Amino acid sequence: MAGELKYAEAIRRALADELASDPNVVVMGQEIEALGGVFTATQGLAESFEGRVLDTPLAESATVGWAIGAAMAGLRPVVEIMFMDFIATAMDQIVNGAAKLRYMSGGQITVPIVIRTPSDAGTGHGPQHSQHLETWFAHVPGLVVAMPSTVPDAYWMLRQSIRDDNPVVFVESKYLYFRESGEIGPESRGTAHPYEARIVRNGHSVTVVTAGRMVAESLAAAESLAVDGIECEVVDLRFIWPYDRETLAQSIERTNRLMIVHEAVQDFGWGSEICSWAASELFYSLDAPIRRLATPRAPIPFAAHLESALVPNRTIIESAVRDLAMH
Amino acid sequence: MTTPEETPSSRSRPSALDLYETMVRIRELETRIESLHYSGKMHGSFHSSMGQEGAAAGVIGCLRSTDLVTSTHRGHGHAVAKGMSPTTIVAELLGLQAGSSGGKGGSMHLHDIGCGFLGENAIVAGGVPWAAGAAWASRRLGKDLVAVSFVGDGGAAQGVFAETLRMARTWGTPLLVACENNHLAHSMPVERTFGEPGSIAAWAAGFGIRAEYVAGDDVFGVHRIAAEMIDEVRITGRAAFLEVEVWRVRAHSLNDPDYRYLPRDLGKSHLQTHDPIANAERSPELSDAEIAAARERVTQEIADAIEAAFEGQAAAESLATSGVYTEAFEREAQLRGW
Ligand SMILES: Cc1ncc(C[n+]2csc(CCOP(=O)(O)OP(=O)(O)O)c2C)c(N)n1
Ligand SMILES: [Mg+2]
Repeated sequence: MAGELKYAEAIRRALADELASDPNVVVMGQEIEALGGVFTATQGLAESFEGRVLDTPLAESATVGWAIGAAMAGLRPVVEIMFMDFIATAMDQIVNGAAKLRYMSGGQITVPIVIRTPSDAGTGHGPQHSQHLETWFAHVPGLVVAMPSTVPDAYWMLRQSIRDDNPVVFVESKYLYFRESGEIGPESRGTAHPYEARIVRNGHSVTVVTAGRMVAESLAAAESLAVDGIECEVVDLRFIWPYDRETLAQSIERTNRLMIVHEAVQDFGWGSEICSWAASELFYSLDAPIRRLATPRAPIPFAAHLESALVPNRTIIESAVRDLAMH
Repeated sequence: MTTPEETPSSRSRPSALDLYETMVRIRELETRIESLHYSGKMHGSFHSSMGQEGAAAGVIGCLRSTDLVTSTHRGHGHAVAKGMSPTTIVAELLGLQAGSSGGKGGSMHLHDIGCGFLGENAIVAGGVPWAAGAAWASRRLGKDLVAVSFVGDGGAAQGVFAETLRMARTWGTPLLVACENNHLAHSMPVERTFGEPGSIAAWAAGFGIRAEYVAGDDVFGVHRIAAEMIDEVRITGRAAFLEVEVWRVRAHSLNDPDYRYLPRDLGKSHLQTHDPIANAERSPELSDAEIAAARERVTQEIADAIEAAFEGQAAAESLATSGVYTEAFEREAQLRGW
């Protein structure tokens, strides 16, 4: 269909549109200039925006630190970290620099940077290229953590993040880059505040809170469950921090059952935070124990069958939700 | 030295007296801060730059007010030399609302954007890429400014330090990295990590940038070479590296009082042989009358600054959780219980 874009193209379009609308936006990363990014997210941008889409050396820490300095001086840098696992090499600059500078300087400094980085298993990249690490960043005061699940969200959330004066860790789905397509359409975020969650399927049986590519898996599971009369309400969290408690609470108060699904490792994952919040704030609305469904405590293996043995998918979600609905 | 001359940045160079006075201002402030700690009026960490004032005054003396500086955990001298108000510094060290960060930063987190002091950083070498990026961005935004990043000999071993020099070589940025080699990274002698004085510069030269060594107990010598290098950095937009050998007089910090890894009187002997202030006083550049007048001025100024700082109020406890995100964000957070 004309007007349809792939997820990766939506990212590229958002970058192009922000580069066009704000001369202070610059894009920095590895292999993004001549190559156009290993996932094509910057293809053609270096030619269209001369001198503003720039290859860095293989130096993630200096790159993020450089972006912080550039932000202090008035630019709005967007940094691409090629795979989310590599972000470990830039951790200090993100956690001790970008996240804390506003606080440490008593409000003198803002750091409007976006760190875009793809995560997900499912592409056969093995243990050092597949891990979901968004929880690390959700734990750090000072950061916003975005995780879009659709083409319009990839586009609109990236544009919003580039305009955000807070540092944003923007977790893209490399699984969806070339699988998910759709139209960008008009901006469709909620009207209350910029970090709203979205109810992507209405239902009265169980609230399934999820994000990223697990939204599509949860929706598929919901369709199968509907055949048996189990109606899931699927909430796409969109932002891991801040997470939208109002939308979650409204949904949980309707369904009285909560399941959290994510691809990050379950132990100490962001689902634990939501679980704990719901248990203490919505205790009397719950008719069953809260359940988490996430990746067990192991690195993501290479072999496809091993990988799919670990990461949640529609079938596993379906049976877990069925159990919870019956509880 | 005493006659002002024009630099390419059309800034008149500081006189010998200016350089001297800056050093004395740093020494006086840090000496007073030390006593405030000993008398229990201040708490927390404090890393004295006593003996290293020649680097701060000599290098920053070459900068314009619009130029930028990033610093280290041992950065009070850099802050003062860049023009940060001693009252604001002391108020911050006292944890007061009137401090540069309202008491949220403390000794290792002085920031004053207004005077181009982007800030200290308690993560060793963490500020080096900030200076590089800020200088690069400023150049792109049409500002004719340079940045200086201070780093220690210990910091020169950090990955981000090497990464930044590599990236500076790749992208070009009007940056001078001023490496204060004070012979020690806490207790680790630089001889074990890099070698003889000058070896850090030799290593930095391998990044394909101009790298020089200078002895930091002669503020005029530091200033001469730094001025020449900063002019070049400003004109070419290319990064450069200056190793300044200095002598740490105090223990690593106040939390390191026993100094067990070095002879106890080493610091004192450094003051006899390598004190940049005493050396300046012995030089023909300054008259005894100038020296005495400067000392009197500065002593009074710092005493007044400290007195003024003590008049400040503590920040409200409720502020401890604010200022993490932008104001608009925090209004929503308040409303919605994030
Ligand atoms: C990343 C990091 N590692 C370790 C420390 C602890 N630490 C603080 S200062 C210091 C020594 C730094 O030596 P140098 O860079 O030579 O600076 P100096 O203290 O001599 O001024 C160490 C190890 C730190 N603050 N940051
Ligand atoms: Mg040292």
